[in-house]
Amino acid sequence: MKMKKLMALFLAGAMSMSLLAGCGGKSNETATSGASQESAASADNVFSACLASEPDHLDPALNSSMDGGTLAANSFVGLYTYNKEGEVVPALAESCEESEDKLTYTFTLKDGLKWSDGSDLTAKDFEYSWKRAADPNTAADYAYLLDVFAKDADGNINVKASDDGKTLTAVLHSPCSYFMSLVAFPIFMPVKQEAVESASDWQTNPGSWASEAGFVSNGAFTLQEWKHNESMVYVKNPYFYDADNVKLDELHYMLSSDHTAMLAAYDAGNLDLIDDAPTDELSRLKETDEFHIVDQLGLYYIAFNVNSSLFEGKTPEQACAMRKAIGYLIDRQTIVDNIGQIGEIPANTFIPVKMSDGNGGEFRTNDDAYTYPDKDAVGYYPIGVNIEKAVELLKEAGYKFDDNNMLDASNPIHLNYLINDSTKHVAIAQQIQQDVAQIGITMDVQTEDWQTFLNDRKNGNFDVAREGWVADYDDPINMLEIFAPAEGDSGNDDPQLGVNPKEYAPEWSAYRTLIEEIKSEKDMTVREAKMHEAEDMLMDTGAVIPINYQGEYYLLKSNVSGDYTNVFGFKYFMYVTKN
Amino acid sequence: MAKYVVKRIILAIASVFIICAITFFAMNAIPGGPFNKEKAASAAVQAVLEERFHLNEPVGKQFFIYMGNLLHGDFGVSMKTGRDIWKTISESFAVSAHIGLMAMAIALVIGLVLGSIAALWRNKFPDRIIVFMATLATAVPSFVLASLLLLIFCIRLKLIPVWSTYNPNYVLPVISLSLYPMAYITRLTKTSMLDVLGQDYVRTARAKGVSWINVIFKHALRNALIPVITYVGPMTASILTGSLVIETIFTIGGLGSKFVDSISNRDYPMIMGTTIFLAVLMVGINLISDLIYKLVDPRIKFE
Repeated sequence: MKMKKLMALFLAGAMSMSLLAGCGGKSNETATSGASQESAASADNVFSACLASEPDHLDPALNSSMDGGTLAANSFVGLYTYNKEGEVVPALAESCEESEDKLTYTFTLKDGLKWSDGSDLTAKDFEYSWKRAADPNTAADYAYLLDVFAKDADGNINVKASDDGKTLTAVLHSPCSYFMSLVAFPIFMPVKQEAVESASDWQTNPGSWASEAGFVSNGAFTLQEWKHNESMVYVKNPYFYDADNVKLDELHYMLSSDHTAMLAAYDAGNLDLIDDAPTDELSRLKETDEFHIVDQLGLYYIAFNVNSSLFEGKTPEQACAMRKAIGYLIDRQTIVDNIGQIGEIPANTFIPVKMSDGNGGEFRTNDDAYTYPDKDAVGYYPIGVNIEKAVELLKEAGYKFDDNNMLDASNPIHLNYLINDSTKHVAIAQQIQQDVAQIGITMDVQTEDWQTFLNDRKNGNFDVAREGWVADYDDPINMLEIFAPAEGDSGNDDPQLGVNPKEYAPEWSAYRTLIEEIKSEKDMTVREAKMHEAEDMLMDTGAVIPINYQGEYYLLKSNVSGDYTNVFGFKYFMYVTKN
Repeated sequence: MAKYVVKRIILAIASVFIICAITFFAMNAIPGGPFNKEKAASAAVQAVLEERFHLNEPVGKQFFIYMGNLLHGDFGVSMKTGRDIWKTISESFAVSAHIGLMAMAIALVIGLVLGSIAALWRNKFPDRIIVFMATLATAVPSFVLASLLLLIFCIRLKLIPVWSTYNPNYVLPVISLSLYPMAYITRLTKTSMLDVLGQDYVRTARAKGVSWINVIFKHALRNALIPVITYVGPMTASILTGSLVIETIFTIGGLGSKFVDSISNRDYPMIMGTTIFLAVLMVGINLISDLIYKLVDPRIKFE
């Protein structure tokens, strides 16, 4: 009997092993194209990266994420692009002529441009693509970037291709110093009309033509295989205008936003690049020569709801003083050193460091024309904590303090700080909690899921909330216009400046007027001065308190070179080589 | 039997409809919306999107529009990606089911064998070691096990890639997914086998000279399977529809993450699609489990 029992056990074990053997090897069945299951490319010519999870859209007109921008930048290319030095340089454009009044741009395209299917790419494709992106029916998040164009008699943007498809003429409604930066942005990349309209539901679902692998593009790589939520395989596009300089055969993306999984795949040698890792691993990773830091034109800040009941009973000036007092209490250096850990720069202005002034220089500088209120710190706040100044401001706002600079029990201040659920935001919130407690201010941290957070923040259901903004183009107006949304737009004016203002909220119509003036200003020196004036107005409300200028990091295997990242966070892999 | 099945199917349809209605109104009641983003779109774009997806209509009317489309087999498209919901669900389900079926098969075969061994060698060394391992496997969360397997086999030994475009390997996810049900089935089988082995009909069969192997497979194991089937039904539905944790750790494009992501994104058509799919699967599998009872144990009568 014992023998029979052992036989039965052996058989069961063998069955189980055969089942397990069936678990590996075969590629899953959701592959969306007829791509080969075995890579023909050698490992030296394949670059693998993980930037994020499944992208929402691969249509460059519909993309609104940073990782999606990277996907677009490597599979589509516009008239201009970014080079390794961060300069905007011609890509499909051979040349560009600017009219004297700086309103008309005439682009001449390079000869012999092709789509990835081998068909001709002409200026007419750009005319179609730009008009499509501006059309509200396309519902592109970044459609507002095309507001720079003048409108023609039909209400369309004034962009016209020549009959021979060689030149594209674009007319702006006012001079735009950052126009070339816009032209290099994904929404200005061309899409092929025939491909877009080949999808049966293209009119109601504009991005459906690019929702599976195999769609036509014009960049360095075309998407050959897409296993949703797992991986993407891009292959070199032989029709790319600069294909001779593309050494890679394939570009592979792991689709995951799980930092642990990303780092595990990187450590195991399955990935060449990742741009996120678990926070508690950063101190170890920073010490390696594979850790790279890049600047972004972005700001991490906190915003006060100027209509919050926190300011009830105060004058607008007192409410401003209360908010600014918080700005003097925050230890920004500790936040960037201990929480960010990637060498970000503490911030004391709303316009990020290194942003252009639209007039040939950098905006955040003291010069003959403009000096920041805190001249030495080049900004509106000192980088260090200034408790005395905070107490002074709160006294102006009517608060009493004891001899130890602690708030008197008769006039407590209690803040509610709203964040979305993330290790970093929680850690920063806890640091701010400690900072404001130095003078007896108490603060609750309210953590919400992303959608609830966005909803509450947009609707002003908060006292103070965490905020962040990475510029879409290199000009201060992109930051300043947040607080002056177009008529009818709810926009991103989370501090509720000018939105059903309470008696203690700042007067805001002058700011809106100033933003409109900046947008139509033709003299770039005057425009720069007005942008400083607008930033002064914004910072004087205390509604936004800068924390740090944003940066990002990535890990790159030491045998890889040739990649680069622009200040908007888009990574370019087409010139990567592996040793 | 036929009457019973028809009655159960009608009840199943009613259950799914109620689940649809509750989910639809609940998801519309929670704050946030599918088009809320860090950088808000313009009012014109928001208006187009709301009209396109009928979000400008009262919620009651939206429900009837949705149910009308559903009756025509139209699950709609994702508000986040524009991809067809049914296509997304069926593709993701294929991945989850592929892994889940292997995990269930392993859990069943090994669980039944180990449970039987533990029962047959009761209070002896094999029983003690199996019970100890089963208790351990029940207690260890799947993400701990998955992370441990990843560390050992992928990072330390480099036997299996963490991630690969051309050669996805499902050994580790399958092991991670199968361990808990395997341990549970082991314990269930042992308990019910012990119960059955003490029954008079087993003693009678042995007294009549039936071989021990025949007694175990024809009489004991078959009767001991009933509680296992009760457990395996819902467990199959759960394991086939994927595990968020396992899919995240091993970067698998299965259905598990779709449930969670659709809610985080307020992607209403995807929330409805995944909920309806899971509801139909659960109701269907429960119905099948009930029918299998009858096949395994003819004493069970359908009422």
